[in-house]
Amino acid sequence: MKRKFLCALLCAAMTATMLTGCGEKKDDDASQDETNQEASNESNESSESNATEGESSGGGSELTVWCWDPAFNIYAMETAGEIYQKDNPDFKVNVIETPWDDVQSKLTTAATSGSYDTLPDIILMQDNAFQKNVISYPEAFVELTDDIDYSNFGKAKTAYSVIDGKNYGVPFDNGAVIACYRTDILEEAGFKLEDFTDITWSDYLEKGKKVLEKTGKPLLSCQAGESDVIMMMLQSCGASLFNEEGKPSMVGNDALKKVMETYAELVKAGVLVEVNDWDQYISTLTTETVAGTINGCWIMASIQTAEDQSGKWGITNMPKLEGVDNATNYSNNGGSSWAITSNCKNVDLAKDFLSKTFAGSVELYETILPKSGALATYLPAGDSDVYAEPSKFYGGDAVFSKITEFAGKIPSNNTGVYYYEARDAVATAMQNIVGGSKVDDELKEAQNTIEFNMEQ
Amino acid sequence: MSQTKSQKRKMSLEKKHNLTGWAFLTPATLMIAVMSFWPMVQAFILSFQTGTANKLKFDGFSNYTRMFKDSVFMQSLGNTFLYLIIQVPIMLILALILASMLNNKNLRCKGLFRTAIFLPCATSLVSYAIIFRSLFGVDGFINSVLIKLGILHTGYNFLGHATSAKIIIIIALVWRWTGYNMVFYLSGLQNIEYSVYEAAKIDGASPMQTFFKITVPLLKPTILLTAVMSTNGTLQLFDESLNLTRGGPSNATITMSHYIYNQSFKYVPKFGYASAMSFLIFILVAILAFIQMKVGDKRD
Repeated sequence: MKRKFLCALLCAAMTATMLTGCGEKKDDDASQDETNQEASNESNESSESNATEGESSGGGSELTVWCWDPAFNIYAMETAGEIYQKDNPDFKVNVIETPWDDVQSKLTTAATSGSYDTLPDIILMQDNAFQKNVISYPEAFVELTDDIDYSNFGKAKTAYSVIDGKNYGVPFDNGAVIACYRTDILEEAGFKLEDFTDITWSDYLEKGKKVLEKTGKPLLSCQAGESDVIMMMLQSCGASLFNEEGKPSMVGNDALKKVMETYAELVKAGVLVEVNDWDQYISTLTTETVAGTINGCWIMASIQTAEDQSGKWGITNMPKLEGVDNATNYSNNGGSSWAITSNCKNVDLAKDFLSKTFAGSVELYETILPKSGALATYLPAGDSDVYAEPSKFYGGDAVFSKITEFAGKIPSNNTGVYYYEARDAVATAMQNIVGGSKVDDELKEAQNTIEFNMEQ
Repeated sequence: MSQTKSQKRKMSLEKKHNLTGWAFLTPATLMIAVMSFWPMVQAFILSFQTGTANKLKFDGFSNYTRMFKDSVFMQSLGNTFLYLIIQVPIMLILALILASMLNNKNLRCKGLFRTAIFLPCATSLVSYAIIFRSLFGVDGFINSVLIKLGILHTGYNFLGHATSAKIIIIIALVWRWTGYNMVFYLSGLQNIEYSVYEAAKIDGASPMQTFFKITVPLLKPTILLTAVMSTNGTLQLFDESLNLTRGGPSNATITMSHYIYNQSFKYVPKFGYASAMSFLIFILVAILAFIQMKVGDKRD
């Protein structure tokens, strides 16, 4: 029960104090560590010179990586390793499957205790957590500003891993928001996919009511207590929960107020149905309970598991907010970036590897796309022929180049360090508003919660 | 002469025994001290430090005063005490009734019933919480049954409403822990002489009277033990809040430990504050256990 957690906390506390005294000598005992022993062999000192290319690497040409999805980012990392191997035959990637929650708690434990030698060379980090982790533990990461050509990435995507004007991450997967609709259900209600392209949320509500009336199916489902939909709406007009100085800006945030009102209206009309967990959300899609969804484009992998629905789905952009400045039909949800940890003994190799694969190889993205649906944030890959291929599942549409196009138009927003606190506070406010509370009061309460959390 | 000699030998033998005893005890004692007590001391020191991540500095009692201004923490405190006040008595009474029923000498398939009631306790906390979540889902088993029976029209979102979500956590806890407490009562009942019951029967006591006049008083030490343990466990409740309801809707079911977890691993890490909250739980458990001992234990 809870005792387990208390033990973990206490152990962390213990290691923290035990290691503050001997934090300096991490170079000597790094080799004892199992996760990255090979990476740290003789080439420790020589890593400063450019001796990493092929011949001199010897035992030091293996990189350890933490990421979590075998069908997606692990597969992508291994493919990248194979591609890099062509020019560097000694090179090896050692991927350790680590779920995101574990990556986060291991990182927190290692960084708090100052024992970085438990970390791998490269970790995959959720974009939403990037700011928090780099600002909390700046000494745990390696700056990459001059090593990667960031002009090849979408600006909104890169912004997640920029802290104080310095880049710490190599953008990986795309979280561009897509709206997916069951074209056959829309047709039943007398609509086409075009009727849902470039629309506003009030159009969406109107049409959604008609679809509900004629087919009995809501247009959208989402997880209660999670603020994904709210955050997507908010980012679609470039708004954030924090202002430029990183202070919470919920009170007097017109965009946020409009978002909350829109969401509450959707729930009230029954166009949006709330479910309790992720599995139920996915099953509303695969069992035809709803006529569509709006989410990051990685949701496609889950939609495609219902093979019998092939050809019945269509993809377009999301609705935009009305009466809000800078509102667009494009947004972002989720996505992740690669980061090099300060425990990496062969930083040049890691940098070179990332810049030649994830930030420089169209071939990589061409290989991983058809099998994993891993959409690139690497813009040159969008011109590839593979992206232009029509997808049978989505009614013969060239969905991948469509989404890459969406990705280029996403307004950038500011996640801030206290992003997860803010998300939870907004979700709490939203549930109360749906339950009948006043928007203004709840936003004020949410802002108070965040300000309280930021006091320390 | 010989007497003193043998006495000497006896003493050294006793010493030897003592030494052996200590030798056996030392490793465990050392382990407990290093793995358990030392971290507790460290956490206690940590609880006087404020700041995020590694940037900690000593700040007196500010963490302890801070938590009383934290509306989410106060809500979690309220939730936890609600579980404690409602769930623990229900569970213990139920366990006591089941135990005295299963203690009946003439009952057949006793082993089967015992196993069946104890079995929930052997399931993993996480998996049972997830099973309860899907049972009470909008399209879950409970809703399907209620709709089939004509009680409900459409599925009711049990976990989406504050009151029903709390009730479900309590149901889940009762299901999971009643069997565990029942086993303690059963073993306690083994120690009560059957002749006491026979004598009561001869005197014409009704089953109710035997239960209240014999079983309950004689089981008092066991009841005290289970009450203290359940209080302790409930105050530290974590898995159900995290996995069954995720603390929702709007923090209506979040427990103190779940909030502490959020503060240290989900949010920007505030270990000083988290340790202070953990120590509040520790203090609360100590106070409640003390009260229960005073009220329940009349041996002296």
